[in-house]
Amino acid sequence: MQSYRLLLLPFFILAVSFTILYPNFADRTLKLVVREDVYSLSEAEQKTLVSSLFDRWEKDYGKSSGWTIEPKGTLPPKENPFFTVNGRFITSAKINQISQENQTLVNEAKNKLEPTWIENMIRGGKSLSIKLGLDLQGGMRVVLKGDFEDYTSKLRDLYAKEITELNLTLNNPVAKPEEKEKAKNRLTEIEASFDLSPMRKIVELEKAKMIIDNRLTTQNLTEPQVRIQKEQDAIEVSLPGVSNSAAILEILQNTETVEYRLEEPNPFLFKNQIAENERRMMDLGQREKTDIYLFQELVKNKAGKKAQDEFLAGLEKKYNIPKEYKVYAMWARGNSAKSTLLPRSFVVLERKIALSGNDMTNAQPSYNSNSYGWMVSFTLTPNGAEKFFDLTSENRGRNLAIVWGDKVISNPVINDPIAGGRAEISGSFSEQEAIRLANVISEGALPIPLSVLEMRFIGPTLGIESIEVGVKAVAIGFFLVMVYMIFYYRLGGFIADLSLLVNIIILAALLTLMDFTLTLPGIAGIILTAGMAVDANVIIYERIREEIEEGRALSVAVTRGFENAFWTIMDANVTTLIAGILMIRLGNGPIKGFAITLCWGIVTTLFTSLFLSRLFMELSVNRMGIHHLNLRPFFFGKKEVKNV
Amino acid sequence: MYNINFTKYKYFTLSFSFLAIVFGFAVTFSKYGGFAHSLDFNGGLRTVVELPKDKTRTDLESYFQSKKIEAVVILLEKEKNIFQLDVGLGSLPTIEALYKEIPEDKRESSTSAIDRFVQLLRFEFNLPKEKVLSADQVGAVVGGELTEVGITLLLTTLGIILLYLSIRSQFKFALASAIALVHDILMTLALIGFLQIKPSVPIIAALLTLLGYSINDKIVVFDRIRENAHGKDNLALSNIINVSIAQTLGRTINTSFTTMISVVAIIVGGAAELYDFAFVLLFGVIVGTYSSIYIAAPISEIYDRLRKKRFA
Repeated sequence: MQSYRLLLLPFFILAVSFTILYPNFADRTLKLVVREDVYSLSEAEQKTLVSSLFDRWEKDYGKSSGWTIEPKGTLPPKENPFFTVNGRFITSAKINQISQENQTLVNEAKNKLEPTWIENMIRGGKSLSIKLGLDLQGGMRVVLKGDFEDYTSKLRDLYAKEITELNLTLNNPVAKPEEKEKAKNRLTEIEASFDLSPMRKIVELEKAKMIIDNRLTTQNLTEPQVRIQKEQDAIEVSLPGVSNSAAILEILQNTETVEYRLEEPNPFLFKNQIAENERRMMDLGQREKTDIYLFQELVKNKAGKKAQDEFLAGLEKKYNIPKEYKVYAMWARGNSAKSTLLPRSFVVLERKIALSGNDMTNAQPSYNSNSYGWMVSFTLTPNGAEKFFDLTSENRGRNLAIVWGDKVISNPVINDPIAGGRAEISGSFSEQEAIRLANVISEGALPIPLSVLEMRFIGPTLGIESIEVGVKAVAIGFFLVMVYMIFYYRLGGFIADLSLLVNIIILAALLTLMDFTLTLPGIAGIILTAGMAVDANVIIYERIREEIEEGRALSVAVTRGFENAFWTIMDANVTTLIAGILMIRLGNGPIKGFAITLCWGIVTTLFTSLFLSRLFMELSVNRMGIHHLNLRPFFFGKKEVKNV
Repeated sequence: MYNINFTKYKYFTLSFSFLAIVFGFAVTFSKYGGFAHSLDFNGGLRTVVELPKDKTRTDLESYFQSKKIEAVVILLEKEKNIFQLDVGLGSLPTIEALYKEIPEDKRESSTSAIDRFVQLLRFEFNLPKEKVLSADQVGAVVGGELTEVGITLLLTTLGIILLYLSIRSQFKFALASAIALVHDILMTLALIGFLQIKPSVPIIAALLTLLGYSINDKIVVFDRIRENAHGKDNLALSNIINVSIAQTLGRTINTSFTTMISVVAIIVGGAAELYDFAFVLLFGVIVGTYSSIYIAAPISEIYDRLRKKRFA
């Protein structure tokens, strides 16, 4: 431990850390995209919009930040409809503020913060800057309204078959009176379940809240705040700043489900009827008029779910499909694994859901080397496993279709009853699709479709003033601690300060790499880390001082001091680390945020205090010829040690 | 090195702590009927309003104080003077009574609590409708599961400490650390209840920080005791403990002092929304340091003496 060459390691680690932190300090480019409809406004209106942006610019955004904006004072040309902003510290909070204040001018969902070279290199263009939480920099608040009508129609699908059967019993002249009575009661029961009481709605909203919470937390380590607004049947989601909200909204509103439905029994009367008709069209050379072609066009033009649903309902009418069946499209890739997933043919499935996503859990995507494609395997809940076994034993020989969202992705034949509660879905998935499908199964689908009621950007929930004061306080605190350490331990204090700084820099780089969102609890974790790091150094110096006072040679005293302190520091940090890991595993939100910074902070603290400090200390004592190490403050007298 | 007899006061400090905790909880539950309510835990009314430039936080806070409405005021935007007001559910009857005092011609009839609150604000601060940016009755962010998670966490953490320290040193030190840790948490909770500090996410963070700090402190002190006691099993612990605490005292004072610097800076700096957080943290650091010396060490000594009696 006495060679200068060892210094290369900390320098290398520091260099890497600074590279990772570079996007936070770099000059960045932001594209503020102008809304399309602005160009069709009258000149006067355009002028008002632009001038309101630039008035604020002069007063606020560009005043102290030294940002530049192009084109200045005018609307950009229609071919390149964006303002280019250049500058340092373009935070998502600022971007949100500008978008919010110029809603009619800026198309917030299309804003783009150009990635820096380092982000392109190691992240494929994904952002690599420290994200601050809702409490520290504000963010986006979205209120999502639950659409309960759609929810009931889904419910009706679930019970469709049973209702038909019950009605048959009721109208059956030979049925026994008690059977009729039973059927009647069951019918009222089912009808009652379609009636949504306020209580029921809250229960469904609670479910949706949980799912959204999980979704957002697994997406990246963000700390969303999700609340229910009873008055409006809505869920309020607050998220830390995002430079564009389009992707987040997609995550929030994604109501994709995964479910199993039985296909119509062999010989597939309806499916063949449709296929026959399509073939006839093809033979007449009217490919553009076939339903599947029309449907593909709908999909390619992104006409939306509603249009697709209407199209399929139209088909049901056209071919007189009975009420207990529904027409779906079978989606598959073309001949190569690279081609897009598109509807390829129509199938007719039972309206009744045979097994819903609620019966499946724990899905894992995996690569299937036999078929060169991705597949998803999952576990069934005990209840689901039972259902699945019954389903597969009663319906041998029939096809069981897997419906993802509104796509049928495969419809294997049931050969044997499947027991054991594990199953897999293999289609021609890409990796992305397999991951998404697994997520949908694992997290469950939203029970109710949600529509955006309002979207606003909000300031930091801790209050602007408090944050300014808090940042100042922590900075002053750090500075004072450093001064104090130098005053108290002289050279030792300086070395401790150095390793504390390195500690914080490495920790910041680690957290950035992990896409961590920093919140107040996270900062509390860092404060604790800094406290423990200082503590480690204090323990070491007290030990070295004791060794010196016992009359040992300096280099021996340093080595022994570190050795004596080693286990104390290890014990304290390992215990805290275990507690921290528990918090990560058990806790959520604030507890997790705190624990993540604490755990990584302990790792960096152990490195800097046991390795770096020691390296610096031993180098200065053994190589730089420091013969007299005074680890005493300026005014404390020597006291006799009473040996035990 | 100082030669102080720390363990002399053990019965006094142990009883003092016990009584303080009991007193704190007694006041919390008898006088206030439990911990304070907060939006994060219980839900409530949340409004965001843009106030005229001449109104400040103080105006809002003094108004709520005079009317006995429990509200948390947060400044969202300095430029435009936008405030977020969080009102706990406990103040609903008060709001209803105040709403009824508004002259008939100045108010619209409304049935929901949030509407009434908005009307009250508009009447009081003369706000036009568009200056009330949002108003909702919101549910809790951290629900009841948090208490459950917290207790599970604490118990498992204690279990880990007992196990790890028993392996690394001796059971008596492990036990004393665990008891002192519970003491720190209870003490802080008693304070939160006694002062009716509103539980919130920052407060949870403060509690967790105190937990970590306290574990660290106890282990450092006990490591020294263990080292000094090595091979002196037949001696009374009290002497060893006194010397060990004296030896680590410099380090204890330094560490708690440096940890407190930032926290005190937050309090002095006047960060209104962070005041509770910093206050609880400060208290926690003091209690954590105190309990290592005056709770954990004496407990290990008492345990040691009892055991020696049994085997004597």
